[in-house]
Amino acid sequence: MEAVIQTEGLTRRFGRTDAVRGLTLEVPRGSIFAFLGPNGAGKTTTIQMLMNILDPTRGSARVLGTPSAALGPAELARIGYVSESQTLPGWMTVEQLAAFCRPLYATWDDVFCSKLLDDFRLPPGEKIRNLSRGMKVKTALACSLAYRPSLLILDEPFSGLDPVVREELIRGVLEWTDREGWSIFVSSQDVDEVERLADRVGFLESGELVTAEPIEQLQARFRRVEVVLADEGSAAAALPAGVLEVGRAGRTLRYVDTRYSDGASEAAVASLFPAAVARFEPMSLRDIFVALARGRASGRGVRGA
Amino acid sequence: MLPFTVEFRHGVPVFEAVVFAVKKAVASGQLVAGDRFPSVRTLSQGLRINPNTAHKVVASLVAQGLLRVEPGIGTVVAQAPEAHEEQRAALLGAEVERLVVEARNLGLDVRDVLDAVRRQWKELPWKRSSRPKG
Repeated sequence: MEAVIQTEGLTRRFGRTDAVRGLTLEVPRGSIFAFLGPNGAGKTTTIQMLMNILDPTRGSARVLGTPSAALGPAELARIGYVSESQTLPGWMTVEQLAAFCRPLYATWDDVFCSKLLDDFRLPPGEKIRNLSRGMKVKTALACSLAYRPSLLILDEPFSGLDPVVREELIRGVLEWTDREGWSIFVSSQDVDEVERLADRVGFLESGELVTAEPIEQLQARFRRVEVVLADEGSAAAALPAGVLEVGRAGRTLRYVDTRYSDGASEAAVASLFPAAVARFEPMSLRDIFVALARGRASGRGVRGA
Repeated sequence: MLPFTVEFRHGVPVFEAVVFAVKKAVASGQLVAGDRFPSVRTLSQGLRINPNTAHKVVASLVAQGLLRVEPGIGTVVAQAPEAHEEQRAALLGAEVERLVVEARNLGLDVRDVLDAVRRQWKELPWKRSSRPKG
């Protein structure tokens, strides 16, 4: 697999805390990798290490085959980066910023830039400091996509934006993917937003990677299970391995199965709880995420969950 | 705008949801043989889905014979082939077995299931008059 981003044991310590610890992941070329996690999980710190804005304490990262520490103008011209913490020059107008960026990139596509500014409804003559938050993000994205990067790194692009602006951002990004050789690494707290877009998902929690896998695989192995037992007494049987959030109310037993297998899991439950009625429901990415996070928080983190 | 609707449901992979939506549109006559099918690009942008998934959807539907690539024109809805013996066996065998198992686990009666099948059948008007032989 040709990886556009690779990290190996990436760690960053601040004082006595590890903001990111032992992060090892790969982003294949031509994919959309959604990097998810709650506030303070270490997502921005990770991205800053990828972009050589911050040095790692330990471990390494490579972007487009180059060690992050060695990223220079040539590599950066192939990376589009949009982040909350970026400061755009407030005194420039939108079109002045585009004009400023244009000569810096050999691959600058002015037609595409104009189209994006238009699609994003950005007033060209407006000073950036007068723009709303959503418009600032759109401006940053337009100026990043305009030079047709190979890799787009987006740090919480949807944070605090209304649904209309989110639509516009996603549309702009999908327009850019309409050619060869694109890859996207997007971090988000908003799991729902990326569910339809992600090829792969990585969950970061308190600096550690809980899991990183193809989204279809995650969706395939997680099920919310509800078992209605024949009578209140019969839940003595041990539950299968790999379950989270076990709860019981009367004759109803509920849990999250992290190792669901079509057919086999139903059979296993039928043999554990004969005469019970069981339902296996697929879970949204958000519910999977919450189950994993809660599982770790309660200390009952499941090995291999 | 797309010539069919997709119902995305949590937990159901996007790929499956879109493939099913196309099959449903063909089954109901919303899409007929010869109709132009959206490009991968249009699918991706119209449905707001990963371009890779859009690509897989089209590839899968072409492989299954529901779509055909016409050089110079693009992708079109294909003429429905006569159901192969294996396809009929697969549908009437494994799929029905799955439905029956789930229904029984939920304590449903065979009449509930048959009523539901009849209702669904009526909801999708079958435009083609030809019936498989035998």
